[in-house]
Amino acid sequence: MSILNNYFFRSNEYISRLYLIVSSLTTFGLITLYSISNDPLSINSSFIRQIIFIIFSLLVFFILSNINVKTIHDNSTLIYIFSFLLCLIPFFLPPVENTYRWIDLGFFYIQPGEYLKCATIILIAKYLSNHQLEVKEGYIVFIPILIAFLSSFLVLNQPDLGTAVIIFAPVLPMMLWAGVNGFTIFLLITPVITIIAASNNLIFNIWGVLMFIIFLFFQGSFLKRVLIYFANIFTGLLFPFFWNDFLNGYQRQRFIDFLNPDLDPMGSSYHIIQSMTAIGSGGLFGKGWGQGSQTQLKFLPVQESDFILSVIAEEFGFFGISVIMFLFFMLIKTLLDIAFKSTDYFSSIVIIGLSSILFSHIFINSAMTIGLMPVKGLPTPFVSAGGSFMLLCFIMLSLINIFSRN
Amino acid sequence: MLKIENKADIFHYRTLLFVLIFSILTLLSRYFYLQVIEYERYSSKSKVNSIRAQDTYAPRGLILDRNGVVLVENYPTYILTVTPYKLKDINKQLQIISEIVETPIDELLRRYKKYNQGRFLPTIIAKNLTFAEISQIEERRLELSGFQYKRFDERLYSDVLKDAHFLGYLRELDRESLSFLDKSKLYRAGELIGWQGLEKQYESELRYSKGIEYIEVDTYGREINNINENNIPAYPGKNLILSIDSKLQQFSKNLLIDKKGVILISNVNTGDILSMVSNPSYSLDIYRGETTDSSWNKLLSDENKPILNRNIAGLYPPGSSFKIITAFNLIEDGLLDPEDSLMCTGYYSPPGSSKTFKCWKEDGHGLVDLNKAIAQSCNVYFYETVQLIKLSDWTKTAKLFGFHEKTDIDLPNELIGQIPDKEFFINTYGRWGWSERGVLLNLTLGQGDILVTPLQSLRYINHIASKGKTPKLKLNAGKEIEYYNEIDLSKQSWDRIFKGLYDVVNTQSGSGWRAKQSDIKLYGKTSTAENPHGEPHAWFNGFFDFEGQKYSLVVLVENGGGGGAIAAPIAGKIVKFFTDNQVEIVEK
Repeated sequence: MSILNNYFFRSNEYISRLYLIVSSLTTFGLITLYSISNDPLSINSSFIRQIIFIIFSLLVFFILSNINVKTIHDNSTLIYIFSFLLCLIPFFLPPVENTYRWIDLGFFYIQPGEYLKCATIILIAKYLSNHQLEVKEGYIVFIPILIAFLSSFLVLNQPDLGTAVIIFAPVLPMMLWAGVNGFTIFLLITPVITIIAASNNLIFNIWGVLMFIIFLFFQGSFLKRVLIYFANIFTGLLFPFFWNDFLNGYQRQRFIDFLNPDLDPMGSSYHIIQSMTAIGSGGLFGKGWGQGSQTQLKFLPVQESDFILSVIAEEFGFFGISVIMFLFFMLIKTLLDIAFKSTDYFSSIVIIGLSSILFSHIFINSAMTIGLMPVKGLPTPFVSAGGSFMLLCFIMLSLINIFSRN
Repeated sequence: MLKIENKADIFHYRTLLFVLIFSILTLLSRYFYLQVIEYERYSSKSKVNSIRAQDTYAPRGLILDRNGVVLVENYPTYILTVTPYKLKDINKQLQIISEIVETPIDELLRRYKKYNQGRFLPTIIAKNLTFAEISQIEERRLELSGFQYKRFDERLYSDVLKDAHFLGYLRELDRESLSFLDKSKLYRAGELIGWQGLEKQYESELRYSKGIEYIEVDTYGREINNINENNIPAYPGKNLILSIDSKLQQFSKNLLIDKKGVILISNVNTGDILSMVSNPSYSLDIYRGETTDSSWNKLLSDENKPILNRNIAGLYPPGSSFKIITAFNLIEDGLLDPEDSLMCTGYYSPPGSSKTFKCWKEDGHGLVDLNKAIAQSCNVYFYETVQLIKLSDWTKTAKLFGFHEKTDIDLPNELIGQIPDKEFFINTYGRWGWSERGVLLNLTLGQGDILVTPLQSLRYINHIASKGKTPKLKLNAGKEIEYYNEIDLSKQSWDRIFKGLYDVVNTQSGSGWRAKQSDIKLYGKTSTAENPHGEPHAWFNGFFDFEGQKYSLVVLVENGGGGGAIAAPIAGKIVKFFTDNQVEIVEK
C-alpha cells in the first residue's frame, strides 16, 4: 500500500478533485459510447474497446507515475528527440488513409504526433525555467517558438493541421506564466491577427493603423519597433501567396467550408451541418439516452470521437452540455490551481503547458461541433473514443501527478 | 526538488483564468443559442433529415365482365432496379447481373439509359426474375450495391378474353412520355400506365392511388424503422365492370374462326356492348414480360392486321344497309309514296346516259315498292329513287345517324370514317370530274367513297331500333346512360323501315332469311359491300327483342362474300345463342 500511497493516495486535495473530474468525464464518455454502439457488449463495440483502452491507460498511468520530476527535467531533450524520431517512423511505413500520422501496432494505432506535443512542452518548460533571469528580455521567446515550430513543421507534413495548431497553443500561456512581458506576447500575436486581417483590404488597413498606434506607445528601440511593424505588414501582404501555394487543397477547403458551411452540404461541411442539427435538435434536456435520431441513424459523422460532444448535446441537451462544460472548466481550473500552488518552477510551467493542450483540444473540438471553427480531426479529452488519444490523456494525467507532488 | 522556485504571480493566474472562463462561456452561449433559441429550426431539420418518404403501391383495379368473371387481373412478378448513385462500378456490376439474368450487358445498358430517371430514383433493368435469380442476387448482395429487386404487378389476362383488343394494355413509362402526364398523379418512369384500350380510357379509375410511407433511415439510406403515423396508405384502383358478356363474346369469337371480321352485339336500351369481337387477333400476353423484337415485327407486319381493333379502327364500305338512308330521305321528305312500285328489270340506265347499272338480281325484281326494295335489297329501286334526292340532303341524313363522327364509345383511338360531301368530291375529282347524280348512284348502295367503322354501323342500327332516342354505346357497365342527339323522324318513317327490315329476315325472298330464328322477331339488313381488296364484305346489321330488351348486332365478314349467305347465318346463330342461354343474358 505504501507504494500506491506514494503515487496516488498521498496526493493533495487538488489531485483528488482532478481524479474525480477525470473519472466523471470518462464515465460520461462511456455512457455516450454505450448509446452509440449498435451492440455495446460485443468485443468490437467502441464501448468495450474504450473500457479496454482506459484499463490499459490506467496501467500506463501507474507505471509512469513512478518517474520523478528530476528524471524528466534532466532527460527532457532526450524525450523530445525520441518523440521526434517516433514521428518520422510513419513516413517509412505505408500510408494509413493517405496520411503518415499513425503507426500500426496490429491491435492498436498510435499517433506519435500526440506524444510530440508533451515532449515539446517539457523541452520548452525546461528552457524557460532555466533562463528565468532572461525572461524579461524579448529574445527569450525565440527558442521556445523555434522548438514549437520544429515540432509543428514535422506534424504539418504528416499532414495533420490540427495537431500542428495544438503544438503552438501552449507556447503563449507558458511564456506568460514564465513572466515574458506583455509587449513581447503582443508582438507574437500580431502576425496571426495580421494574417486573418489580410483576407480583407479594409480590415487590413484598420489593423495597420491600430498596430501603428500600439507600437508608438510601447517601449523598446525605435528601429526595432519599425522593423517589427513592417515585418507584420509584409506578412499580411504575403499571406495570400502562402494561402494559394503552401496549403493543401483539403486544408483550404476545410477553412472555406468553415466560413460558409452551406456551400457544399454533402462534402466536408456536411459534418458541420449534421453536427449543428444534432446539437440544435437536442434542445434543453435532450432527446434522451439512446434516443438521438441524428446520432442513432448515423447522420452524425465520426460520432464516437470527433463529434462525441454533439451526441451528448443531442441526447442530453443543453443541460448535459452544461455539465460537461462545467467539468472541463473545473479540470482546467484545478490544473491552474495546481500550477499556481506548485513550489517548483519547471513543474508549474509544464502543468500550464499540459492544461493548455487539454484546453485547446476541448475548445477547438467544441467550437468545431457548433460551427465556430473549421473541422479538424481533434478528439475530446477523456470523453472521445480512441486508444492513442486516451493513452495520451492518461500520460498527461500521470505527468500532472508527477509534477504536482510538491 | 529542483532548485528554482515557482514565481508565478497572481496576475498571470487571473489572466489565464479569465481566458478560460471567457472561452467556456463563449462555447456555452453558442450551445445555448443552438439548443434553446434555434431549437425549433434544428428540431424540424432533424426530422426531415432522418425520415424518408417512400412511395407505396397497391394493386391496379381488376377488369370484370358483366357477370363478374375476371378478365384482367394482377400477377406478381419480381423486377430488378438499379439506383444510379449507389453504384460502385456500373460495368462490373452489370456484368454480374448480366450473368445472373442471362441478358446481354448491352441490353441492360440500353434499359438503364432508357428508363433512367435521375441519380436517386430506381430504374428497372430486368423483369420476371425467377426465384433462382433472386437468390443469386441476394447471395452477391455486397457486390451489387445499388441493385434491388422488388415486387411489380403485371397484368394477367384470363384465357377467355386474352385476345380482346378493347381491353388494351399497359406500358412502361419512359422519360419522354412522363412530361405529358398529369403531375399530380405522381407517375414515375418505369411504372406501368394504361396505354391502349380500356386500360387507357379508364386509367384514372383503374390506377391505384399511391401511398406514402415514412421510413426512418440512416445516412446510407438503410431502413431503420417504419414510422406508422402520418403514413398515407395506398389504395387499390377501382375495379372496372364491363358490359361485355364473356360467354357471348367467346361464342361470337368462335363464329369468326378462320374468318376476318367483326361481331358486335349491344343492348339497345342501355347502349351496353355485350360482345365486341375483332378477328384475327393476338394474345395480349405479348405485353407481359419481355417480348423479342422478332415476334413484335412479325405481329406488326402481318398483313391480316391482327393488331387492329377493326370495330373502331377498321374502315369498310357499308353496302346496302345504306339504302335505308335513302329510304328515310324518301319517306321523310315525301318524295314518293312508299306504296308506289317501280319496275326492276335487272339494270338501270340514268336518263341521257348509255351506261347501265346492274341490280344484283340479273333477272330483275319486277314490280318493287319500298318495302320489297328493302327486303330484297333491290338496287334498281334505289338507283331510280335516289335521283329525287339532293346530295346535301342525303349526306345530312347519313350524318344524322352518326356517320362521319365518333360514336363516343369509351375507347381511345376511334376512327370517324367518311361520308363524302360536295366539297370532298370537288377536292378529290375536281369541279367537273364528277356529277351529283352519278355519285348518288354509288352512295345509295353504300359504295364509293363511303367508309364506316363497324361500331358506327352498330350505332346506326341502334338508332333505327330505338327509333331515334338512342343511348350511347359503352363498354363500362357502370357508366351512366347518355343519349345521342335524338333523331326526330316521323312515326311513318320508322314504321316503314321496321316493316322493311322485318321482311328482310322474315320473308322467303328476303335477303337475310338465313338469319331467321323461329321464336324471335329479328329485324335486319344484309349488305354485300364491293371493295378493291377481293371478295365483297359480308354484312348483317340487325336487332331483335328478347325478354323485354332490345338487342342489336353487327356481323361483318371481311371479303366473305354475300351478306345474306355469309353474315346472315352468323347473326342467326347469335340470336339462337340468346334463346339457348336465356338465363345468363337477361339483364341483371
